[in-house]
Amino acid sequence: MDTNQVLINYVQTELAKGRKSEIKPDDDLLSEGILDSLGILQLVSFLEETFDIEVDDEDVVLENFMTISAINDFIQSKK
Amino acid sequence: MKNIYMLHQSVELFAETTPDKEAVRFNKESLSYAELFEKSQQLAFVLQTHGVKRGDRVGIFMYKNIYSAVALYGIMAAGAAYVPLDPYAPPNRIEYIIKNCEINIVVCHDRKKAVLEEIEPNLSLSAVIGIDSIESNKTPVISWDTVFNSPSELANPFHGTEQDIAYILYTSGSTGVPKGIVHTHRSGLSFAKWAAETYQLTPNDVLSSHAPLHFDLSTFDFYAGSLVGATTVLIPEALTKFPANLSKWIQDEKITVWYSVPFALIQLMQRGKLSEKNLSSLRWVLFAGEPFPTKHLRELMKIISHASFSNLYGPTETNVCTFYNVEPIPEDQNDLIPIGKACHNIEALVVDEEGQVVADGEVGELYIRGGVVMLGYWGRPDLTEKGFYKRNSFDQFLDIFYRTGDLVQLRPDGNFRFLGRKDRQIKTRGYRVELDEIETTILSHADIQEAAVFPVSDGDGSHLIEAAVIPRADSGLTTDHLYSLLNENLPNYAIPSKIYLLDDFPRTSTGKIDRRALQDLTKNLI
Repeated sequence: MDTNQVLINYVQTELAKGRKSEIKPDDDLLSEGILDSLGILQLVSFLEETFDIEVDDEDVVLENFMTISAINDFIQSKK
Repeated sequence: MKNIYMLHQSVELFAETTPDKEAVRFNKESLSYAELFEKSQQLAFVLQTHGVKRGDRVGIFMYKNIYSAVALYGIMAAGAAYVPLDPYAPPNRIEYIIKNCEINIVVCHDRKKAVLEEIEPNLSLSAVIGIDSIESNKTPVISWDTVFNSPSELANPFHGTEQDIAYILYTSGSTGVPKGIVHTHRSGLSFAKWAAETYQLTPNDVLSSHAPLHFDLSTFDFYAGSLVGATTVLIPEALTKFPANLSKWIQDEKITVWYSVPFALIQLMQRGKLSEKNLSSLRWVLFAGEPFPTKHLRELMKIISHASFSNLYGPTETNVCTFYNVEPIPEDQNDLIPIGKACHNIEALVVDEEGQVVADGEVGELYIRGGVVMLGYWGRPDLTEKGFYKRNSFDQFLDIFYRTGDLVQLRPDGNFRFLGRKDRQIKTRGYRVELDEIETTILSHADIQEAAVFPVSDGDGSHLIEAAVIPRADSGLTTDHLYSLLNENLPNYAIPSKIYLLDDFPRTSTGKIDRRALQDLTKNLI
């Protein structure tokens, strides 16, 4: 499974909890309320475990988490 | 100086005296007092043209943006009360509030257009302002461009009083539907004037607007600020979720007065690298909504040691009614800081179950009387009646107190200590939630036999919400079914973080749900 799909699956099932039926790579996760403060923390732990990367506090910024694509780019930059 | 007795009048005043002074800012956009006044008059003109009369309710359905301020002041200038609709709430809830509050006009923008289009066919709106078109073509739309090309001189200037309604804030209701807390110009201004004086606000101040508009903290950001001709800077919602962005924002915007729930400050401290930022402009850190865990507050006060800290307390029904300017906290103190003393012009009583005022130091419910108290709950005279206590005065008048439902105790130093709730209302990261509202929503599912919703500690002084349910036998119900039901009806923050499906609940000898045993049981299920 490609990274985008892994991310979409996780966000869809664990974070969106049915709030949105289909998440696309360029959907704004913040405006649509899919990601909240708690969700971001969960997502960060998920990224660290799944992709074996270290996410610093400085990395947890809007630019890196706005969309699935942005999160994907961020993961690649950390590898 | 002109006497200000309605919330929008300060903008008019400073449009005359300091027209070029910046009133509001959002990202790179900014409005001076003169511009804010003109634009809000234009909006008021359009609202009146579309039939808005004194006392009407107008919805605001937008993410924060520079026109948020235009909407607040423009709606009030037209003589109406504004009703902020949570941009993150599910469409069902927005539709309910619009109908419940009999809102005829909604101020909106492109980013919320899709949600509005979903519910608009079920509504009978007379206009939507801020979008160019609407799918159904049912309701007339007026774009922002049209608004800002309209006259700024009102054909029918609003000659209101301080007792006119100004804004209605919807909050969680224990009966399963949200309830609207109605404030007047007087109740809003009583708080704003007290705050401006207590925190010695000046035109040089730069206030953060962190809280959403439907949250009562926002009234400080706008009305205490505009009362002195200061600048209010709106924080884009997305930024509030990212402490590293937010701490830099406070630095770059040179915020002088910060006001938020404790949770936001704790996040900033733990993940926002606050100590590396230049926060020299910051002179007041104000917080409200929930108790601030002492260890975190002590640490924060060390990081921003040059600023003063104040704990503001008050249910949405009373704006703010007590406050405590935080003294340095000793290293060995773990007790919560107090909620302080009653603000000027406010009477506070501590009352026992029998309605008798308790002796100093005894525990009781806090009753509040004064200009800051709400008018009542919209369309719910029963709740309004229950919410107030009337004290006989001179055998011929009545003094009206709001029953806060909060248990307090007077400390020997004259400050009130907050002890908790009388009922099942909780705070989760600053948001006020009635556990019974969530239970009622879950029970509305046909496959649910019983449900119990309870708070669990988040380990940082606040609560998360969990639920345990008994599905009907052989219904095949899963938590996904429940989550989609909840997501359709409740705001995000009220959605339980965990739902346990059980065959039965622990019971007391009388057959009632043993909630304590249930929480112990679920704790061990993880």
